[in-house]
Amino acid sequence: MASSPDEFSEPDDLDERERTALETLCKRLADDEFVLAERYTEWQVRAPTLESDLALANNAQDELGHARLWYDVLGDLGFGERELVYERDPDDFRHSTLVERPFEDGNWADPVLRSYLYDVAEELRLEALADSSYPKIADRVEKIQSEESYHREHAQNWLERLADDEESRERLQTTLDELFAHALTLFEPCAPPRGANEASGDKPRAVDPGVEADIVDLGLRTATLEELGEEWLSIVVPYLESLDLAVPIDGDGDDGFEVTAAALPDERGRDGTHTDAWAELYDEFTRTYRELGRDEPTAIMDAPE
Amino acid sequence: MNIDTVKERAGPREFSPADELPREYREAATRMIEFHANSEIMGAYLERPFIRQAPSIDRKLAFSAKVQDEIGHGQLLYRAAESLGVKTREEMLDDLANGDGKFLNCFHYPMESWVETPMIAFFVDGAAMRRQATLRRTSWEPYAHAMDKVCFEEGFHVKHGEDILSELMSGSKKEQHMTQEAFEEWWPRIIQFFGPTDDKSTHHDFAASVGLKQQSNDDLRNAFLDQYIPKARKYGLEIPDEPRIRERDDGTYVVEEDDLNWDEFFTIAKNEFEPGLGQINGRKTAQEAVDWVRETIENDASAAGGHAPQAAD
Repeated sequence: MASSPDEFSEPDDLDERERTALETLCKRLADDEFVLAERYTEWQVRAPTLESDLALANNAQDELGHARLWYDVLGDLGFGERELVYERDPDDFRHSTLVERPFEDGNWADPVLRSYLYDVAEELRLEALADSSYPKIADRVEKIQSEESYHREHAQNWLERLADDEESRERLQTTLDELFAHALTLFEPCAPPRGANEASGDKPRAVDPGVEADIVDLGLRTATLEELGEEWLSIVVPYLESLDLAVPIDGDGDDGFEVTAAALPDERGRDGTHTDAWAELYDEFTRTYRELGRDEPTAIMDAPE
Repeated sequence: MNIDTVKERAGPREFSPADELPREYREAATRMIEFHANSEIMGAYLERPFIRQAPSIDRKLAFSAKVQDEIGHGQLLYRAAESLGVKTREEMLDDLANGDGKFLNCFHYPMESWVETPMIAFFVDGAAMRRQATLRRTSWEPYAHAMDKVCFEEGFHVKHGEDILSELMSGSKKEQHMTQEAFEEWWPRIIQFFGPTDDKSTHHDFAASVGLKQQSNDDLRNAFLDQYIPKARKYGLEIPDEPRIRERDDGTYVVEEDDLNWDEFFTIAKNEFEPGLGQINGRKTAQEAVDWVRETIENDASAAGGHAPQAAD
């Protein structure tokens, strides 16, 4: 059971367990948004039409804005953008591998499908954060929610239009086969941050189920990863099937679907293991920062409220 | 309306799609607006990689928004050009991909390092601002109308570019040095932004006589120098020795045009400059890769009774 909101300590009085839970949760939220936005921007000046170019740029900026909001919560633990992004060890990022996958040139089916899979998951997790015991988290949910419903609508419009055309549907299917396993990692447990306990550090797959349990027990999020994952499957599987797409997962709607270890990819992101594409992406987005020898990322906007 | 009447009536925002205008006017206006629209797209193409390379989340957001704005300006301008009834947007975009569409000289050069970003975002955009401000009084009303929005947003871009420049020039010695080098490379191109001197300009006389163009190349260039030389110096940039720039008695500046590389400029104007061709073809390849999506949308639209699809955009 989740504890009542007032049981979570004030930012200055957090104990070790609370700190680790808060840090783990916010990193998985922020890293997802940041890396997804980074990938979306690749479509700027490359989208099929000027209109879709503008729309995707818009979504990219929304997600970047959300990343800013979640990273900013970690300011309470003394972290700034330098430690969280530009000077962070790439192995310490906790985003799902879904968001780091590179796009194949011209495969518009990918951003559309990826956006759908991600945005449904995001809607569910935001609902589970609306009553978070950490007020700063709960306060930010509404702003993010107001933008998210548009993203999902946009993705579904495109999916339906592409699925209506035989050749385009085949592209969707191929992309779904590639992305779906990575999408399942959205609901995988995180390795705790470095130095938090024995399970953290350089060991790959150093998952500590204790941290994920703490996130829920301390009321930071009001649903477990399993619950979120099941609900997500109960939405995306029937929807994708209604578009005549075959979803690569065992089980059926009545008995629920089973996410076995075999259904997951080798790299899961959450546990600190990443696909090779991530190392390249990290190298690119930190390039200027390194070349100029910066030691502080520039802030030009006010901190989020 | 014949051409003499057009010349007589030519004034700010004088003509709209309700007027029957001679082909000569419509073609000249199309050429001018299409050039402008193409430049927005190719400028965005050049700046896009720096969304990723921006050295902070805030800068990344600002860069993504800027690139998005430029695409939005392109969209707006193609619409203003289309309204002249000479070319459709598809034709203009196809021409741009094929290497037939013309665009600004500065966007034919490659951009490789972050220190180059203010060369575009501050100086080139600043130069563009000067020209665009005068175009709010152009005779083709849809063009002038588009300029209202473009000028408003461009003001933010220039501020953003100025902020990056200011940051670089107050950073480490290395940053300052790299920025100065980039400035020296870009400075002559930036001056050439305004095109050749009035007596070498091919289209100026007609465009001016029908009110499409509001100020001559020379006047715009000189006004730009008056404003931006002091700004460059304020941030610690040194103005290169070449092209030679004379300061007049009244404190205004004039450039020695023979010091500029006009062969290169006219090679660029013909879309025959190697790096520029690489950028034209790079964009073409990216557009060809999503041909299948446009085909799907078109099939979808014709199946739905020929209405252009809106919902998914």
